[in-house]
Amino acid sequence: MKQLKGIATVSRASLWVLVFSAVLTGAAIIGQAYFFVAIVDGVFLKEKSFEEIVPLLGGLLAVLLARVTFTYVSGRVGVKAASRVKRDVRKALLNKFSRNPMQASLHGQSGQKVSVMMDAVDEIDSYYSKYLPQMIQTSIVPFMIVSVVFTQHMFSGLLMLISAPFIPIFFIIIGVKTQKKSETQLEKMAEFSGRFLDTLQGLITLKLFGRAARQKEAIQQSSLDFRDATMDVLKIAFLSTLTIEFISMLSTGLIALEIGLRLVVFESITFFTAFFVLILAPEFYLSLKELSAAFHTGRGSMGAAKKVAEELTETEQAVQWGEETLQVRSTPPAIGLRGTGFRYGEDGFALKNIQAELPPYGQIAIVGRSGSGKTTLLHLIAGLVAPQEGEMVVDGRLLSDYKEKDWLDQLSYISQHPYLFSGTIEENIAIGGRSGASRVEVKKAAEKAGIAGMIKSLEKGYDTAIGEAGRGLSGGEKQRIAIARAFLKKPSVILFDEPTTGLDLHTERILQESMEELSQSSTVITVAHRLHTIKNADQILFLSDGELVATGTHKELIGSVVEYRDMVSAQQGGSAE
Amino acid sequence: MKDLLIVTKLVMVEKKDILYSILFGFLAAITAVALFAASGYMISKAALVPPINTLTIMIAVVKLLGIARAASRYAERYFSHRATFTILSNLRVSFYEKLEPLAPGIFQKFRSGDLLSRIVGDVESLQNFFLRVFYPPIVLVIVFLSTIFFVTFYSVTVALVLLVGLLLTSFVVPAVFAVSQRTIDHHVRDGRGELSTEVTEFLYGYRDLKIYQKLDGKEQQLTNTSDAYIKEQEREGVHAVLGQSVNTIVSLVISWFVLALGAYLVVEGQLDGLFLAMLVMISLTVFENATPMAVLPSHLEDSRRAATRLFSVVSEGSPEEVQQREMVKLHSEKALSIQMDDVSFAFPGEARTTLKNINLSLPVGSKTTIVGPSGSGKSTLLQLLLKMNTANQGGISIDGTSVNRIPQESIWEEANVVLQENHFFFGTIRDNLLIAKDGLTDEEMEGMLAKVKLNSFSLSDPVFEKGENLSGGEKQRLAIARAMLKGAHLWLLDEPTSSIDVLTERSIYNHLFHQAKEDTVVLVSHRLTGLEKMDQIIVMEQGTIIESGSFDELMEKKGYFYEMKQIEKSVLM
Repeated sequence: MKQLKGIATVSRASLWVLVFSAVLTGAAIIGQAYFFVAIVDGVFLKEKSFEEIVPLLGGLLAVLLARVTFTYVSGRVGVKAASRVKRDVRKALLNKFSRNPMQASLHGQSGQKVSVMMDAVDEIDSYYSKYLPQMIQTSIVPFMIVSVVFTQHMFSGLLMLISAPFIPIFFIIIGVKTQKKSETQLEKMAEFSGRFLDTLQGLITLKLFGRAARQKEAIQQSSLDFRDATMDVLKIAFLSTLTIEFISMLSTGLIALEIGLRLVVFESITFFTAFFVLILAPEFYLSLKELSAAFHTGRGSMGAAKKVAEELTETEQAVQWGEETLQVRSTPPAIGLRGTGFRYGEDGFALKNIQAELPPYGQIAIVGRSGSGKTTLLHLIAGLVAPQEGEMVVDGRLLSDYKEKDWLDQLSYISQHPYLFSGTIEENIAIGGRSGASRVEVKKAAEKAGIAGMIKSLEKGYDTAIGEAGRGLSGGEKQRIAIARAFLKKPSVILFDEPTTGLDLHTERILQESMEELSQSSTVITVAHRLHTIKNADQILFLSDGELVATGTHKELIGSVVEYRDMVSAQQGGSAE
Repeated sequence: MKDLLIVTKLVMVEKKDILYSILFGFLAAITAVALFAASGYMISKAALVPPINTLTIMIAVVKLLGIARAASRYAERYFSHRATFTILSNLRVSFYEKLEPLAPGIFQKFRSGDLLSRIVGDVESLQNFFLRVFYPPIVLVIVFLSTIFFVTFYSVTVALVLLVGLLLTSFVVPAVFAVSQRTIDHHVRDGRGELSTEVTEFLYGYRDLKIYQKLDGKEQQLTNTSDAYIKEQEREGVHAVLGQSVNTIVSLVISWFVLALGAYLVVEGQLDGLFLAMLVMISLTVFENATPMAVLPSHLEDSRRAATRLFSVVSEGSPEEVQQREMVKLHSEKALSIQMDDVSFAFPGEARTTLKNINLSLPVGSKTTIVGPSGSGKSTLLQLLLKMNTANQGGISIDGTSVNRIPQESIWEEANVVLQENHFFFGTIRDNLLIAKDGLTDEEMEGMLAKVKLNSFSLSDPVFEKGENLSGGEKQRLAIARAMLKGAHLWLLDEPTSSIDVLTERSIYNHLFHQAKEDTVVLVSHRLTGLEKMDQIIVMEQGTIIESGSFDELMEKKGYFYEMKQIEKSVLM
């Protein structure tokens, strides 16, 4: 499949096995016809004894077994090849996604990517497990049959050769003629088929407005509309099969007529030859017809392959790392942004020319309206994305000179919506720390983060399963788990995306206290939403539309930057002080 | 299997199409058998050099059979597919009839979000039940029996061999494979579930994984899970290939027996050699019909599982609304009072109580706000008032009547409700507003759109499924418009403006409270602004009411509300 060129291929060995078993299948089909005819001819016309035909019967049985065996082998090889391709494709996708730093910012599109990695990859299967073996078979078996027929009776062979191309030709003609129609029908089908789900999803709304009972007719109507639209498409498909059947029927009939006449009127061929050709003719057309059936299965796979290929060709903006070690020292590293900039894709949102020095133990607040680039700046500092212009310097060297591990070892990142992995609470706290934290250390971190009480109240305590398959935690509890992760790690740089709303007072208090405590030993860079945080900051980076408008303390900015003053006072109802 | 019986009943409704499907299926198969039988006979007859007109007739018969076969096949496909889709429609309607009375309670029981799409998928997968499970065996048996009957005229022994073949290929082999199919299916499903979790965690938790340097480990884990899943799929695929191969080998061996036996009988003089070719051709052709039986077990298993899942959703208790006491309908046309005495509630299957000892009293025409952090039980309280859930303890009464004695429908009829998640249907803005009340005029609806500041929309603007083409704020405004159009006198509003900016919110509330001047209003609010005029503010945390009173009282008290207010003031958006 050309979309997946270079990502996944079927091994040469598998292809040879497929070709080989196709040839043998062809041979078996011919052999089967030969033995059948020989046996019938033997007892019917040649009046042989039963003992005489026993070897022929034995041969026939062997050929039949061989035919099925080769079909099985070919099917099996197809399935195995499909497995390998799926494996490679999923691996390639995984590679792509994990190297793509944008992943961190693309939460909105994650659902779609999940579906590509699950469903699209699975859909590729039938191309390799069904279409490919069938295609190889069809490109070999009919030719073998025709060749054999030629050796037996040239005219029948010619008839086959002349009629065969009509099958693919008609298949294509009908396909082209009806493509447009079926496309519009497919749109309609998609629309109708969504109605049932739409109604179910809206059931509560419908009930609240007392409309639920009336929806029955609507469901029935849209179902029947869906049926009619589908039938229109199917009729076309059935019609093309019908045409193809007629062609093969007509051709078989012609061959039968021709050999019949020769047998009876001209007596120019033997019963053996006639019967042999008559048995081979349907086999010939059958394998041609099977290709068109396989073609339908293959088409779905190609759509899926296209989706996969689109994901794989998306441009990467990978982060480079070096080999220098970054020592863990008692003081946090100094961070410098020198004309740093970053742009999403070709013409996406851009962060431009950021100029800032973030000293050890600094309390830095990033402030700005939503969409001004605060989170992107945090991602840049974290090393999740690499600067495209300017540099980011840590302790006097480019960040990209250091080993990735050394930098990340010094970091904690507390996001607005910390992600919980499926596992126990202990595992979820420990994931943020250095490896091999003991239960005692985890407990201590949980206590500092003010979540130990809640954990104790649970039946299974620290072993309670949370995440995907476990207990749900409230927003405040998730925040506190994230804080516990930081306490366990004791990082020298903390990146904190302050929550905007929705926390309980307890968590609010914990957050404030914890950040104060953590700031004793680390540099804290906060995307700040709380005035308290902003006022306490040594340095505020005020962003607007991707640009650093001003830096300074709250007092300085209130005095000198109109836009900043406006923003703060709008929230405070005019009293920002 | 019981559930498949229900499905079968629904299938049987489409008698006419079913009969046509079977009839044409039978014709298509039997003409194919006849076609090959005739050509086998013809060629043998030809070998004996008959008069030319015998041959002409034979050829004409063969041609006619060929045309008949192709045409019947077309008709069979047409009718069977039409039947399938009509059956799907019946299934949807029937399932909806069963589900409708159970909502919304049912949605709480199955809190997983994909329940609905699973339902839709299950109904969809039942389309294979008629097409691949129900009628093919019927056709198959009729075709075989007719063929066997025909063959008895020539040789009873050959007919018996065919009968054995029928039993083997159509019943024994599929049954054997059906058993192993079940276990394999099970493994494949599990594998898929595990992989899905891994992929989701990998993509949604990417940033955390990266920062915590767990990405490589996760990748490895994902790869392993994927490999295991693919391995199971492979087993499934190979198993299917094996099933088909075994079925083919059995049918070929039977044909071989027919040939061997026929040859023996010819040699022994018990069968005219003229018919040998015909019998062999019959055997080879008739077993082609058994091929679909190889895939039948997996379709049967799919259908069985789909049916079981579907009906397990709706079978769990019909609405608990047992008509033990007589029900009282609420009076419309006037505002209602609400009373909650010592109400506690826990979601079924959860140890933690969501609401604890709630007492509140909302007089006729009062305006109440419920505030508190997320997860404090505000929405649950509203759901109890709407009787979407039933309290485990304590009493709730509306207008002096216990909610136990008021039918759900009556409460909903009297309430203007805006939930956190409001559904919008595929259609137009007009369609979505018309749900509110019968007989609404375009002017009324347009006026309402203006009130909620959606004047930029026209009534005929399209709305996509789930309102996908509308922003969060637009959806909320549309939901408020819909509630205001309904014009009942009890307002239950759950964070209706959380995605709307403060200025617009203020203007919408002005209109809303103007309309609701005489009505009873309960407003769950995420913001603490604009609460000065409310009669009562209820502050909740962890399922209990920790404070209540008017805005001024609470601010003076300097308690929880006061502190929340201070924090909110200091938050910059």
